[in-house]
Amino acid sequence: MLRLRSARVAVGILVLIALLAALGSVLAPQDPLAGGADTLAGVSGRHWLGTDYLGRDVFSRLLAGSRVSVLGSVEVALIALVLGTIPGVLSVYLSRVFEWLTLRLADTLVALPFLIFAVSVTALLGNGITQAMFTVGVLVSPLFYRVARAATLPVARSQYVEAAMISGASTGWIVRRHVWAKVLPPVAVALAHTIGVGFIVVSSLTFLGIGVQPPAPTWGGLLASDLGYLDFQPYAPIAPVLLIVATVWGCNLLADAIRDVSGQEGRALLNSGRARANRVLAEGEGR
Amino acid sequence: MTTVSETAVRTTPVTGAASEAVLAVRDLRIRDEVNDRMIVRGVSFELTPGKVVGIVGESGSGKTLTCRAALGILPAHFAVSGGSIEITGRDIAALTPAQWVGLRGGTVSAVFQDPASYLNPSIRVGAQIAEVILVKLGLGRRAARHRALELLAAVHLRQPALVYDQYPFELSGGMLQRVLIAAAIAADPKVLIADEATTALDVTVQAEILDLLADLRERTGLALVVVSHDLAVVAQLCDEVLVMHAGEVVEHGPTARVLYEPRHDYTRLLIAGHEEYGLERFLDSPEVDGVR
Amino acid sequence: MAVTVADHPFTYVRRAGVATARARRVAGRTAAIAARSVAIFVPVFVVATFVTFSLRALSGLSPARIQLGEDATPAAIHNIEHEWGLDRPFLAQYWTWLDGVLHGRLGDSWANGASISELIRDGLAISLSVAGLALLIGVVLGFGLGTLAALRHTTWIDRGITGFTTVISVMPPFVVGILLVEVFAVGLRWFPSGGYVPAAAGVGPWLAHITLPALALSFDTVSDVARQLRAGLIAAYRENYVTGAVVRGLSPRRIFFRHVLRNGAGPALTVLGLRFPVLIGGSVVTEWVFGLQGFGRFANDSAQRGDVPAVQGVLVVSIVLVVAFNLIVNVVLGRVAPASQRGV
Repeated sequence: MLRLRSARVAVGILVLIALLAALGSVLAPQDPLAGGADTLAGVSGRHWLGTDYLGRDVFSRLLAGSRVSVLGSVEVALIALVLGTIPGVLSVYLSRVFEWLTLRLADTLVALPFLIFAVSVTALLGNGITQAMFTVGVLVSPLFYRVARAATLPVARSQYVEAAMISGASTGWIVRRHVWAKVLPPVAVALAHTIGVGFIVVSSLTFLGIGVQPPAPTWGGLLASDLGYLDFQPYAPIAPVLLIVATVWGCNLLADAIRDVSGQEGRALLNSGRARANRVLAEGEGR
Repeated sequence: MTTVSETAVRTTPVTGAASEAVLAVRDLRIRDEVNDRMIVRGVSFELTPGKVVGIVGESGSGKTLTCRAALGILPAHFAVSGGSIEITGRDIAALTPAQWVGLRGGTVSAVFQDPASYLNPSIRVGAQIAEVILVKLGLGRRAARHRALELLAAVHLRQPALVYDQYPFELSGGMLQRVLIAAAIAADPKVLIADEATTALDVTVQAEILDLLADLRERTGLALVVVSHDLAVVAQLCDEVLVMHAGEVVEHGPTARVLYEPRHDYTRLLIAGHEEYGLERFLDSPEVDGVR
Repeated sequence: MAVTVADHPFTYVRRAGVATARARRVAGRTAAIAARSVAIFVPVFVVATFVTFSLRALSGLSPARIQLGEDATPAAIHNIEHEWGLDRPFLAQYWTWLDGVLHGRLGDSWANGASISELIRDGLAISLSVAGLALLIGVVLGFGLGTLAALRHTTWIDRGITGFTTVISVMPPFVVGILLVEVFAVGLRWFPSGGYVPAAAGVGPWLAHITLPALALSFDTVSDVARQLRAGLIAAYRENYVTGAVVRGLSPRRIFFRHVLRNGAGPALTVLGLRFPVLIGGSVVTEWVFGLQGFGRFANDSAQRGDVPAVQGVLVVSIVLVVAFNLIVNVVLGRVAPASQRGV
């Protein structure tokens, strides 16, 4: 996959961001919380991105703030992955009741506006980013459910799996051997995409001041304070914006790259089953 | 030749003697520009009103490309590199896209294999026929609907009014092919190209469709190009047969002659293959003399 | 035509019967779609309301804290809670609340005792104006760009538009909002940087105030719609029924509008339906950026204040809005492109 140039770019960006998250506070040249007299200063040798309204070094704050964003996004993605993929695969093998229930649940969860829910839940259950991300993870899980289910259905009913079953293989073995390989690529695509989404959500929530108490730095929080001082520092938002945008773009690029690669390799197998899979999926969804 | 009413019924004889050719293909050559290969190497035939020409050959013999060239819908990267095609005397090489739009449907039309896929799945079939009438003949909505219903009856569909309101997915293959034929003849074309039109249908339905085409040809003087890999289809309907193999015409002549006295090995191969499946009942019937 | 009625008679009498049968079938299909959406909505509603209601108990929040502050005596707290009926059994409270909701009463705010229904209604007027304009922009720009890209497929126009939509799609609404404020409000001073003027006070100022927030909200939608439409149209053009229409001598313009667009727009319309929850969610941030006292702002403020009934009301209204919109989209899809409803 790393043969694709777009994948290399994506991975490069994301690794950089991950490093920032891990080592940000260590690498920061100044203490991100230390204010000073030199407020709203411009770019200088001492303060690479200037200072904010309390005299704190913006560059350091950006570095330190990366951790919250990265951790939050990954949390959303992982929760959605676990809560969505497992029922998705199981819905093909367990009873019709389970299938119907999970399908309907997925339908309803998708309908709920997750930002409002995240805001509400955080307010009710405490102002931590974890609660908010958990809620968002739950609300985004239907994507993984659908993806995992769509990948499992054609396999479960395909002929080579029937052959395996006839020769005595257990369902668990089949799942591990065949389903896993089929489910992994689209789930990986969804994962990359969801991390990007998680990033946007974390930025939005911290922008609103939810999830993290000031003065702890976050990218969203930085933008929020920048907004108040736009007249003084019109170029201040550029750095956090670029970071957010670059990260989300990296995630989407990665998702596309995975999709392209898995599509090419799996195309021969997928094509034969795709028409049937679509029909089966349509039937299963009751549409 | 039966006349039904005083309204526009063609009274030209079935095998038009001194009529002008409605479709003239002369030494047609088609090239695949991507792979730089000649796919069709010199096809020639002429259609006069009421005449039926059959083209037989296996997949890849170039018969479909010939038809597409005559309709102006060659796929990308395929081009006519030699010879000419004339529709009612006009050389198609000189036609602009707008002129093509005018020519199609009104002068030359076609039906293909797999009828379901050639209709818009989201629109009722009656409306799709009426659309052709509306656009090509300039009639109002009510008149177009009326004509469409007539056409559905003319292609031997029972309960035309019911069929009119169906969506394509609600109809069988045979019914859909009739609908497509109705849409194809809605604007009174002079030439109808049937490219493997019966291949996807059951044998009994196939026979009915062929009867329908013969019926239309008798009543309206429609000229037909019937393309098939099935020699029996061609034998039943055509006055003249071209046998194509690897882009070339290996045999060309009146149907009876080609079937009774094949000159080329490939033709003999085809006939031999078909005899196993009952072609002989066509070989000895009186209809194959070109006079019906 | 060479064949006339005399040849193949059929009855006109059946026509009236066919027409009503057809109308009945259409109505039936629409009703089925509506019923299905409602059927999904009911359990959602019940579960979601129950969950949000339980959250209050879990959160341990109470109006006492808001109204009395940190140093309230237990007796005072107890009094206030009793006043609000919070010491009644849980299910009884739930039932009373649910009953009120079904009658349109969302309760009173813990913060100021005002009717939540009114507060939300006031906020909704603003939010729906912005969201409506955002949707319109999303549809118009999205369809325009998608169509252009599909028709000029493989040219630089297509590549340019695809690149543009990719860029837009990674920008969160509040980022776009900030940029728009910077450029158009602070920089060029073409638009005000915030606030709201109701349409009643003048359409011009009203539009001026909602354009930037609507634009910020719409970018996501524009990108998604354009991408889906482009893909859908390109795929539709490859279908055999386009060849069928071409061969019948229909003009390219007619083929595009009556055949290709109808079938190719399916995915784009579906995506549009899925965008609405995001639009509502996005309003939480855009209203903050642009200083609008809308529904999203109300949600945010109530949440930050710990005003539980207000939050519950917000959630209920959100669900209703989303379901209603999805219903409309499904019905429209059912009429325009019935093929997509069958999973074709």
